[in-house]
Formats: sequence, structure tokens, C-alpha cells
Amino acid sequence: MFKSILNKSRRLVGIGSMAAALAAAAPVMAQDKEPIVFGGSIPLSGVFAFAGVHLHAGLTDYTTWVNSEGGINGHPVKYVMEDTGYEVDRSVAAFKKITGSNKVPVYYGDSTGFMKTIASELNSRGTTLMSGASFATALTDNEQYPYQFIPGPNYSQMFGIILEYIATQGKDGDMPTVAFVYSDTEFGKDPVENGKAKAAEMGIKVVEEIVTKPGSVDVSAEILKLRRVRPDFVVFHGYVLSPINEFMVQMRQMGLDTQFMGTFWSSDKLIINKMGADADGYMGVMPYNYYDSAESGPMLDALRATAEKSDPDAGYRPTGYMQGWFNAMVWTEVVKRTMDAGKELTAENMAESLASIENWDTGGIIGIPVTVKDMSFPVGRIWRVNAKEARYEPVSDWIHLD
Amino acid sequence: MRIGDAKQSYEADEAIWKSSTQKVWFAVLLLVLAVFPFMADAYLLYLGCMVGIAVISTTGLNILTGFTGLISLGQAGFMGVGGYTVAWLSANSALPFPVTLLLAGLLAAAVGILVGLPSLRVKGLYLAIATLAASVFLHFIFAEWESVTGGMGGLSLEPAHLFGLSFQSDFEMYFIIVPLAVLMVFGATNIFRTRTGRAFIAIRDRDISAEILGINLLRYKLMSFALSSFYAGVAGGLFAYFYRVVTPESFPLSMSIFYLAAVIVGGMGNLLGGILGAAFMTLIPEALKLLTAALTPFYPNAPIFMSPMLEIIFGVLIVGFLIFEPHGLAEIWHRIRRFFSLWPFKN
Repeated sequence: MFKSILNKSRRLVGIGSMAAALAAAAPVMAQDKEPIVFGGSIPLSGVFAFAGVHLHAGLTDYTTWVNSEGGINGHPVKYVMEDTGYEVDRSVAAFKKITGSNKVPVYYGDSTGFMKTIASELNSRGTTLMSGASFATALTDNEQYPYQFIPGPNYSQMFGIILEYIATQGKDGDMPTVAFVYSDTEFGKDPVENGKAKAAEMGIKVVEEIVTKPGSVDVSAEILKLRRVRPDFVVFHGYVLSPINEFMVQMRQMGLDTQFMGTFWSSDKLIINKMGADADGYMGVMPYNYYDSAESGPMLDALRATAEKSDPDAGYRPTGYMQGWFNAMVWTEVVKRTMDAGKELTAENMAESLASIENWDTGGIIGIPVTVKDMSFPVGRIWRVNAKEARYEPVSDWIHLD
Repeated sequence: MRIGDAKQSYEADEAIWKSSTQKVWFAVLLLVLAVFPFMADAYLLYLGCMVGIAVISTTGLNILTGFTGLISLGQAGFMGVGGYTVAWLSANSALPFPVTLLLAGLLAAAVGILVGLPSLRVKGLYLAIATLAASVFLHFIFAEWESVTGGMGGLSLEPAHLFGLSFQSDFEMYFIIVPLAVLMVFGATNIFRTRTGRAFIAIRDRDISAEILGINLLRYKLMSFALSSFYAGVAGGLFAYFYRVVTPESFPLSMSIFYLAAVIVGGMGNLLGGILGAAFMTLIPEALKLLTAALTPFYPNAPIFMSPMLEIIFGVLIVGFLIFEPHGLAEIWHRIRRFFSLWPFKN
């Protein structure tokens, strides 16, 4: 009996040892394969650093997570980045340096300026697919930028999603009126013409259009203009915070019941943290679930667990983190699809793989299955600030533009 | 070892090459510049091209600010004029790059003359503000004159071309940028051997005295603006060909400050200073990144903490130069040369 127990134990130990050896060998086997490099020009300093550090954290944490899952088809993932200070020439330098010393199939660009600047080189190299912090409409021009994509809706599509939501808010059969307020920058002007065309198509009247400098500026005169036309909705674009707060506070003080909406970069907690109770009711279009939303899903849960593990004291992770993570998720999917098709990791093959993404389940990062259209993911949801809870809550279903 | 340079004529005193040693070293420098692209990787080539463009623009600003004493915050605007000229010509004509660059320089020079008009009445900080206003005005034109400049979206360019050859890669662009930089610095060196260059220096040292000596202030101040802007225009044109896209955000105000800092750090009124300043301002931020790279294996979060630190270190380096070496990098270079001219017999 004792002998039999001993034999069983030995057998168990043997099986256990084999399993342990295999488990230990798996990462070694993965390490044997050539790493897939995720490159990045990341703005850890400069004016965009407030988002850059979170983008970097999202990309870093995703890399940790995907490697813990065995990498991409057994290939470990290596994330190589450099700080750019949000300056185009430094971003280009980082690109040259990283792509010069690594084989980089996918790359994160930190600005529209950089992504436009590097386009000719990207097209002639044909080795790298790029996405990044930019949601610029111009980058979805496949003729000029065949190897760049947007990790969400572009700014024009964000306006489209906002207008779809506004169209559902009419009373007594009347369409609500809207005013566009945007910054005097390439970023600010990006979706305005398309937004106006879409509004006209939907029968929504754009009653005012205001252009301001970004940042803290005196907007009293502009607010008086809005007071005259009394729009039901004001849509801001091309800002992070100011002068959105000035518009909201002063217009509410005037007793206007206008509702305020914004796009991706002005729809994070900053607006709640800076405005407090005054932020209540502000709405933003967001293609990803917020970190602290009530939603869940296998990937969203993995994201939260990885974020918690990498920095337990960080608490809430901003939308930049979600964007960084989602970028890397798309890269992984694209690289995997290209490899599975037995094709080389060229920009053209990867662009084809990207275009083949249809009804893709993102595991809860985006609440519905998504389909790539014109190198972007034209999907989003409208979220409203609940100032008491200090978070955004969904007020619409997920809207997928055709 | 050289023990002296006895000059026996005015020509010898004005010669560009004071000794045969200088000629040899210059030949070595040219050789290094010629060999560099064949040895360097893509990253170093890119930096080489960037330094070349910065040297041209800084030399232009040095002519105006360092030698004529007229401060300008409009350099980025003039570069923008050059950049947009090249971009527009590239889209609307089949002119080869030497012609487009020349036209870019000439148009920038014309704009420079207009911007320089206030210099007849104001100088110092007032002139800085006047040129700043011009820079803002030019930026407005770049952003709003959509039919010509493409508005906020800017313009994309075809590669530079000449006799059927297309200059697309950094390697190919290097052979346009660097020879042009050498040529233009050489040209600037020659300017200061002529009456024109001496007139600029006289205006800088005391404009009233210069006028009493017979120097026409209107003519020479505007000429200095024109020359400086010409350099900026050519640099802007090269910038456009190099990146193949120009937008209003390609030429921000911070770029003007960058070039002014390069002139000051390198040494005002010294052409070598302009070159060293341009190289310093372009390369030091990149060199400082090596610190981060060295720390990252031991401390993975180093990029997050080091990136803002590097900006501070860069700023401290500039302030340090202003305090401890007000004559700039050129003076340090001269000290090194003096040391070696007597080495090893110096006590």
C-alpha cells in the first residue's frame, strides 16, 4: 500500500515536473522566436505630456499582458519608444532611430503633424503600419496615407456620432439646433466642414459657428453671440479644457439651457476635476468604455487587472491609457491575421489585414463588435458627466456609422 | 607647430585661409562631410540633414542679429515663406530644385525687406516685437490663404528633382543640404570681407557713427534683412523638400526662438558660432536621450521621469552658457585652438 502511494506520488511528481518543465519552456520557446517590435514616438514631455504618459502606460501594460499570454503566435512583443516633447522633428528622429535599429511592423505616432510628415517615408519603405494619438480626418485618405489608421472614429465621424445623438433629442418633431465652437488650429478645424454637411443632410440647423484660440481666452463676445441664437447644443472641438469651462459657466449663468458636448480629447476626467459640479451634464463622444464604467468584458477586465498590477496606486486610468491599449490591441490583431494568412509583415499586407476586420469583438473595450471602414473604427457612444459620482455615464447606445 | 602668421599685405590680412594648416583642416572637414552619409545610419543621416538646415538658417539670423545688431523673431516666418514657395512651385510647375530654392530665397528676401522697414525707426526690443508681429501675420497668411497654402492642412510636395534625378531619401537629400550649407556659410564669410559686411558691423557697433562715416542706414539695414531672409527662405525650402509637407504648424514661433538661441549659444557675430550653436541646439536634446537609454534597463520607468528632466537639463545648459561663456561656443573653440597652437610647449 505504502509502495502504491509512493508510486502514485512519484507519478504525480513526474507529471507535475513535466508540466512545470513545459510551463517553464513555453516562455523560452516564445523567447526563441523573433520579437515583434511595437515602436513609438511618445510625447512624455511637452504640451501633450498630460496624455502622453498615459498613452505610454497603456502601451507598456498591454505589452506586459500580451507577453504573459504567450505573445503573438509565440513571438514575444517588445515595446521600443522615445520621448518626442510633442515636436515633429524629434518624433521623426525617434522614428528613424527606432526603425533603424529594429524591424518595426507597427508604430505609434504622437501627432497629426508627425503622421503627415512621415507619410512619404512610410509609403516608400512599405514596412510599417502606423496609428497613434491622431484622429485626424485627413489620415483616413487611403490614397495619401495608405499605411496609417485611426484607432477609433476620426474627428468627422465623431461629429457624425454626436449629430446622430442630437437628432434623437428633438421635441415635438423639431430638430434641435446646434452651434460649433472650435479652435483656430488644424486640430480644431478638422471636422467642421464635414460636420456642417452632415448636419444639413440630417436637417439639423447649425445656428452659429465660433472660432477661438485654444486655451484660456476671453470669450465674452462669443458667448453673447451664442446667447442671441440660443442653440440647443454646443459642440466643442479642438480643445482639452479651456475655453470649454468658460463657455459652460458663463452661458449657464445667463440662464441658457444649452447642452454642451465635446470630442475625444476633451472628454476625460480633467473637465470634472477642474470644473467640479459645473461639469455636470457635459457630454462627450468616446469610442472606448471608460476605465471606471460599469461595463465589463474579458479584455476590459484584463486591462483593469494589468493596470492595477502595474501601478496599484494609480486608481482611475484616463482615456489616453485606453487609447494606448486599444492601439496595441489592433496592432496585435493585424499582425496575427497577417501571420495566420502566411504573409510577410509588410505595410501592405498588414493594411489588408486591418481592412479585413469585421464584427471584431474587442472584449469590452468597445461595447459592440466593430468593423473597420476607411482605416478607422467609426463607432462611439455619448457619455454624460455625473458630477456627483465624478464620472461619465452612457446616455446613448453604441452608434456605428455606416 | 606654428609660431606665427606674419602678414605682409592687406590681402593676406583679409584672406579666408590664414595658414596652410587651416586649409588642410578644412579639406579634412569636407572629406568627413563627404564620407559621413556612407558610414551613418538613417538616424544619424537625419540628424546631419537637420543640422545642415539649422546651420543655414542660423547663419542667416547671425548676419542680421549677430553682425548687424538687429534682433529678429521672424526667422520661422521667413522660413515659412521659403517652404511654401517651394511647395507651391512643386505643385504648380516642373522647376528643378535649384530654381525653386533660389525663388524661395528671393521671395523670402522681398518679405524680409518689408518686415525690415520698421528697423529704420526702432531697434532692440521694439524691433523684436515688430518682427514678432510680422511672424504672426505670416502665420495668419499660411493658415488662411487656402487657395495657395492649403490652409491648416498645408501642402504636400513631390521630391526635389534635377535633370531627371529625384532626391527622395535622407541620403539623397544630404547631398543637397550639406553642400548648400557649406556654400552658404562660405558666402557669408565672404560678405564680411567686403564693404557691405563691414557696413553691417559698423551699424551694429554704433549706427549714428556709421551714418556719419557715409554708410546709408536705410540701404544696409534692409540689405541685412534681405540677406538674412534669403538664407531663411532657402532653409525653409530645404525643410519643405526634406519633410515633403508644410503646414502652418511647421513654422511655429518657437522655431524663431530656437534659432535666436542657437545664435546666442554659439556666439553672436561669429559665423563659426552660428554653426556650433545650430549643431548644439539640434544635437544636445538627442544626446541627452542617451542618459535615459542608459538608465532604462535598470529602471524601466526612467523614460517617464527622465523626459521632463532632460528639458530642464537642456535649459540649464543654455543658461549656463549665457552666464559662464557669454561669447558662446565659438570662444570655447578658439581657446581650444589657442591651446593646441602652442602645444606641447605651453607651460
